[in-house]
Amino acid sequence: MNSIRRFVARTSSLVACAVLLATGAARAGSASYLFEGRPLAFTHLSHAAGAAAVGINDPGLRSLLRSLGALITWRPGERYVLITTAQAQIISFSVGDRSYDVGPLTSNAHFAPYLLGTEVYLPFADLLHALSLAPERDGGTTVLERELTSIDVRGSGGEAIVVARGAGSLTGHLVHEGASSLVYEFDGVGSTLAGTRSVNAGGVRSLDVRVAGSVRAPKTFVTLALAPGTKHDPPRSNNGDFELAFGAAGSAPPLLAGASAPVAVAQPTAAPAAFATDTPLPGPSLAPDASASTPASAAAPQGVATVGTVSVATTATGATVTIPVTGNAQFAWHRLRAPDNRFWIDISNAQLASGPVDQAEADPVTALRVRQNDAQTVRVALSVDGAKDISVSPSATGIVIGVGNDVVADAPRFGSGSVGTLVSSNEPQPLVTPVPPDEYGEYPSIADADWKFGPPSAYVPTNPKLIVIDPGHGGADIGSTRNGVTEASLTLDMAKRLQAILVARGWQVQLTHDTNVDVKRTAQSSQEAISDGYHSTDAQDLQARDDIANNAGARLFVSIHVNAFINSGPSGTTTYYSKPSDVALAQIVQRDLGANLGTKNDGIIKSRLYVTLHAKMPAVLIETAFISNPDDFAKLTSPDWRQKVAETIADGIDQYTARYPVQSANQ
Amino acid sequence: MKPRTALLLLLIFVAVAFGTWKFLSSRAPGVGDHLDVYYTKLDGTTLGRWTVSMRPPEPGESAAEHLHNTVLYAAVQAVAGPPSDVAAIRFPPGTHVLGVGVNGSTATVDLSKDVETQSGGSFGETGEFKELVYTVTGIPTIDAVQVTIEGSRVATLPGGHVELDTPLRRSDF
Repeated sequence: MNSIRRFVARTSSLVACAVLLATGAARAGSASYLFEGRPLAFTHLSHAAGAAAVGINDPGLRSLLRSLGALITWRPGERYVLITTAQAQIISFSVGDRSYDVGPLTSNAHFAPYLLGTEVYLPFADLLHALSLAPERDGGTTVLERELTSIDVRGSGGEAIVVARGAGSLTGHLVHEGASSLVYEFDGVGSTLAGTRSVNAGGVRSLDVRVAGSVRAPKTFVTLALAPGTKHDPPRSNNGDFELAFGAAGSAPPLLAGASAPVAVAQPTAAPAAFATDTPLPGPSLAPDASASTPASAAAPQGVATVGTVSVATTATGATVTIPVTGNAQFAWHRLRAPDNRFWIDISNAQLASGPVDQAEADPVTALRVRQNDAQTVRVALSVDGAKDISVSPSATGIVIGVGNDVVADAPRFGSGSVGTLVSSNEPQPLVTPVPPDEYGEYPSIADADWKFGPPSAYVPTNPKLIVIDPGHGGADIGSTRNGVTEASLTLDMAKRLQAILVARGWQVQLTHDTNVDVKRTAQSSQEAISDGYHSTDAQDLQARDDIANNAGARLFVSIHVNAFINSGPSGTTTYYSKPSDVALAQIVQRDLGANLGTKNDGIIKSRLYVTLHAKMPAVLIETAFISNPDDFAKLTSPDWRQKVAETIADGIDQYTARYPVQSANQ
Repeated sequence: MKPRTALLLLLIFVAVAFGTWKFLSSRAPGVGDHLDVYYTKLDGTTLGRWTVSMRPPEPGESAAEHLHNTVLYAAVQAVAGPPSDVAAIRFPPGTHVLGVGVNGSTATVDLSKDVETQSGGSFGETGEFKELVYTVTGIPTIDAVQVTIEGSRVATLPGGHVELDTPLRRSDF
């Protein structure tokens, strides 16, 4: 009953919003809306099919998108209007087509985008909904309210990551921290998610969402009820998502991979009276709480979901049960303890599209039953031939159940999640599937048994005793940095160490630069290479490095670098190469680097790198370690470690030259 | 068979043949209703992918227009990257596709200057351009991607590593 009331309320509200926008547009073709306390003037408004349309060149829309960190891509003559949100999600409209996509979900707009002159007009209400904005009436003013649209719980058992997502980048402020609860406040954000949900993962027992404040200044409070001893890390921002990691007592919070920057967190302040307690709040059901919700809580559509034809497919590793679900729904699954190996999943707020099913299947799923369990719940039940590994994942089109052939002990016996715009899962989402590595002819394995040395180079050095060493970057280009330590200084240091070792072993060595300066373009060949006018000074610098080796007829070219990434996650040592004749040198050098340096062995990677591509002789670019990773950085700043790098590279050069002697020159 | 009947059948045949030709010629060859979008994993080299839906050709949309739109769609998806919970090498924040072009089997993807704000290292650049190239060259008839920055060809990014002044192909990675 609550679901029906919620469906009616929200559907009515969405229609009202569309009408509200439409009437504003019909009056003058322009309107002013309030967004985060400031007026935005929309001047490219029109209407179609009784709903408002907004031109993509509308200054108000452009300002709104900028505020949300969203980018729009469209040029005259193009069919797609593509908006990339702050969360790197694509909102895709297509001229002449009512269907539009928000990430993996397809919906129908009030009308198809159309061209008016040279400008595309989009369905305004649907665009706002896709941007997680809700138009709310406040007296004579329409407020575009930012919405918290989903809270996703990832993980299970001892650890969990709670991810909040909404319009633009969400920033939550800690307003209360107690032994058994945390309360985060999202200022200026409304939500349709008011209610309490059970979590039971990572020490998080439940989460409760409440909306307070006014239409112009909404606040959403998220309360997390914790088990005693639960640990948590400070919140992080990951592509605009607000993430919190929790670990149950005895477990550390999971690493927030990909997190880019800490979220600004206010010091705990006096909590609102409703939250000044460590006791988990007795929250309402997921139905809207009239006392807590603002009018925004009725803005998003929440219709009854439809469950389509359930199918079972046998795979090499077991079976896959696919449950198509259209719309938003929550599900809960259970399995009985062996030897009773029945499993069922209840999809609430859902209707079965066709009649019940009761049929036998092939192992490991021996039977499938589907029925409308009650007025609002569809149940899909499986009989399984043993305590098999079972995974449940929401997908872009419904729910996927994987049943493995392996018998597992102590398998989880219940779980829950949701499909649709409110995504929640205790399992990784299967939206992204791995690609078989051999599809691209890569060198995925670096195990010794798999070494296949590359072909010998046809290049004949005129100076077979000369090794050219290129310290990466230098001069105006300092490369990556950390704590005042520059990549250029580190690479120069390692190059000089390598030079000394090689000279002591009887090699001639030339550095592309032996002080921290730009490498100037000197050779005629580089002049020819850059004669088409668009080469940058950076490319001139790189070409000049190659020129030194090419003009001298050097035996090998070795460029030494330090890697970096936008977050501290990636680490390790990699040798890059570009040409077939580089492969053997890359493999031999990387094998020893991976074994000796104490860093993660990231193997060899092919890339179209300028310096290795334009060196005529076998050439490699060695990324010795990640300056952005704390452990790697500690190694990079150790002179002993840098000496070990130099010695290992020298050993690799000796091994390579012994294995691949120059045929037509004396060494 | 009477001459009028034969003429009528001939006209019907011609009409059906013309309609079939028109329908087939309006479609970009092999562009289906889904598109694989690739991302480079944090090992720096292996790829993952996800699938996004494509719209069927619009009436009146030529094969060239449909191909152009498909390339645009693919490039924008690749630059945006996979869902945020997926650990992937991503283009620098703010990087977006300004436009695309198609010349024979080479697609040009014009990126905003934000792509120049690299953190440094071969890792990010290689992963970013690899996922873009694999995604766009997944479109039938496209086998290379010329990257431009704000409309200009560049040899490399500032302080960069990957050579960009000639079209990139899958075999480059």
